[in-house]
Amino acid sequence: MTSVRTIRVLLADDHAIVLEGLRALLDGEPGLRVVAATTDGSEVVRLVEQHKPDVVVLDLELAGMKGTAVLAALRERPDPPKVLVLTAYNDGDALRSALDAGADGLALKTESPQQTLTAIRQVYSGQLVFPQAARRWIEGRGAGAPGELTPREREVWALMAAGLSNPQIAERLGLSENTVKFHVQHLFSKLGVKNRTEAALRFARGR
Amino acid sequence: MGSRDFDVRAASRRMIATSERELQRIVLDMHDGPVQDIFAALSQLQVLERALVADPESHQRAQQAVGLLERALAEIRNFIGAFRPPGFERRPLEAIIEGLAVQHETLTDQVVELTVPEELDDCALATKIAIYRVLQEALANGHRHSGATRQRVKVAQYGQTITLVVSDDGRGFDPKRVLALEDDVGVEGGHFGLRGIQDRVAMLGGTFAIVSAPGEGTALTVTLPAE
Repeated sequence: MTSVRTIRVLLADDHAIVLEGLRALLDGEPGLRVVAATTDGSEVVRLVEQHKPDVVVLDLELAGMKGTAVLAALRERPDPPKVLVLTAYNDGDALRSALDAGADGLALKTESPQQTLTAIRQVYSGQLVFPQAARRWIEGRGAGAPGELTPREREVWALMAAGLSNPQIAERLGLSENTVKFHVQHLFSKLGVKNRTEAALRFARGR
Repeated sequence: MGSRDFDVRAASRRMIATSERELQRIVLDMHDGPVQDIFAALSQLQVLERALVADPESHQRAQQAVGLLERALAEIRNFIGAFRPPGFERRPLEAIIEGLAVQHETLTDQVVELTVPEELDDCALATKIAIYRVLQEALANGHRHSGATRQRVKVAQYGQTITLVVSDDGRGFDPKRVLALEDDVGVEGGHFGLRGIQDRVAMLGGTFAIVSAPGEGTALTVTLPAE
């Protein structure tokens, strides 16, 4: 029998009823298990320390400690969990603060909870999961047609081809590391390449 | 300007700021209340739905309930938007306009060409709110009716007057006829129509002009006192 590793999840949300609902949903789902839940932001870091979850589902509007501060504290850890921000607002503020604070994804409370489950699995497997609209917010207005590289993606591509790492690219362009990661992911999918080496080769071959 | 005019203007400004605060409160309350409740209820219901697979009739009912709640969430999303109020008190006018343009592009795939001077003077709260609401309505109209792929938004400041022009090369319409129809305007779906734009501008002592004809595109020009 093959055993798939269970994804251990910590839930942090201001609304106790949301915690209760999500806990029931996740625990009923094969391969997912809730190891802790809290409404208090200042408890999250301690609970992560104690339970070592794979994924933290985090509402940015938390009591005690702000969600973005929690995120920053989690990022400081040597083995940070993946963080999925769960919010009621699909706006630029929510997206930007989630990305800048280093979240791995964003799920919406105005969508079916089923999508939150999918997003938990995706961030666990290493994907960045942001709504389609996030691209626009990050690129600013007038993002190019899908498939076409945006000016920002070209910049990232050139720096990547020059051998710079994501943190170095982030520093050079004055972006958060997570935003660079976001661009890199889009760049790979548009170029149809699997890694940085392939992307750099394509760049060297005259694009 | 006579002191009576001034009193009326000041009262109008207060009313605009007050009704905007009400609206913001509603948006925040909806997201903090019903949205959380419905999301939680959907989570619970999906657990039930899975447990009921062996009982086709009950399973189907649970599925129906899930569908209804998902629709309720979608309606809240469409009706009041998934966007936080723009923070009129703390953000400058150009940031608010820029945010609205991105929001429109995100929701519609229509391109917004934006021309805003780098440094706009800070303007009165009521003027900021009016520009935001007028622009929001004009963009929505331009999306619903023009058939154009892009809209142009131009903001300029001449002394104490702020000018907003929203234009497109779409199919155009007869403004007289539409304004006559909108005599008894409601706020259906949060939209207050051309007449609503006109009223808001008039309350602040601004001007309103719309130039359009079938096949000729549309240009809406609004001016408002900055202070």
